[in-house]
Amino acid sequence: MEAGVREKVEKILKGELKYTSANLAFNMLISKMQKKVQANPDNMEACMKEMEEFLAKYTIVAKVDLANIAAL
Amino acid sequence: MLITLEETVALINEGKILHIAADDTLLRQLPKGKWIGGTTPYFIGEEGGIQTKDKLFVSEIDYAEEIRIAVYGKYNIFQIVEECYDNGLTLLIMPFGSDVATKYAKEAPDVEELLMHPTIGWISGADLEAGGEMRVYDGSSGESYDDKAVVMYIRLPQGKAAMINMINIFTDDKTDPVIRFNENELNVTKCTVNGQEVNFAEYIAKKGIDPSMPLVADYNGSYINTSIKAVTDGMVALYAPVFKNIEYRFAVPVEDYATEFKNRIDAAAARNPVFSCNCILNYLHGNLNGKKIPPYTGPVTFGEVAYQMLNQTLVYCEIVG
Repeated sequence: MEAGVREKVEKILKGELKYTSANLAFNMLISKMQKKVQANPDNMEACMKEMEEFLAKYTIVAKVDLANIAAL
Repeated sequence: MLITLEETVALINEGKILHIAADDTLLRQLPKGKWIGGTTPYFIGEEGGIQTKDKLFVSEIDYAEEIRIAVYGKYNIFQIVEECYDNGLTLLIMPFGSDVATKYAKEAPDVEELLMHPTIGWISGADLEAGGEMRVYDGSSGESYDDKAVVMYIRLPQGKAAMINMINIFTDDKTDPVIRFNENELNVTKCTVNGQEVNFAEYIAKKGIDPSMPLVADYNGSYINTSIKAVTDGMVALYAPVFKNIEYRFAVPVEDYATEFKNRIDAAAARNPVFSCNCILNYLHGNLNGKKIPPYTGPVTFGEVAYQMLNQTLVYCEIVG
């Protein structure tokens, strides 16, 4: 994940930036990770790892999300 | 497609990989083969919504490179995240009211890795008036169950991916009170409303809330419903559990259910779903009997699975790439 996109994904997980995907699983994952980060900010690194694994596994559907997040 | 028993038997005997929904009286007559099934007499066919015990809704899974069929109980249902194909789709059917369905409903959101594996499915049921068997079928063994989940693991070709989505007519109003629950539970007595502990049934009565409106939770813009089954003696029974640490609000009332449902379907703009199922409550409240909702066809169900258990929702899967 590019540094600029990574920074924006971190902001999404902190609730500082709003992004809704057309992909149900991605929205569910964002929601789950936001709660983990909200419960303990130290979870951020683990949550980012999970986000990256998801996006890397589903490159076909993730490329739209990554482009949209980059444009936020 | 809705077809006759004879046509379905022919497809099974040709070795086709099939997902089959039908009344139990038909499913029990099918030969062994590469199929899984579940009971329901309600369908959305190409010609519209229909209740029938004379035909079967059969979907050919012709996009699979390979399949495996497995059966699970409540103690091992979450092995599905270990045993699925790495690039695949998991198709899951569970009987209404079974322990395995309850376990899945309560625990799926907390299962690590579940969102990494596209998982779609439904809850089998029966005729709402006449009753009947609520079962799932493992066509590979010929066995049927009222207490187990049947799963078909579908391996997809490289470069393809399963994308699961849903259509839900309900949303919330962010100015409405926030409702929270202390446990993951199906039968609720207490909750907090804007931080104040109340009896949930008394709160519904006091506020004059229509219990046909589900609770909705906002999962980053995807709204997930929890429908109310009954409000009795200070307790609220739900069709799917509520979860602790999730904020709920009652859904904004929908003035014209059928029109709103049609609008959402048009907005979703799915092109070629390979599987879809639609909640019995949408079928009833949306007056879908006799109505077409292309491109969505499939069983009308008693709970839907899109990773986790859903209510009052149409779920569908497209193969992309």
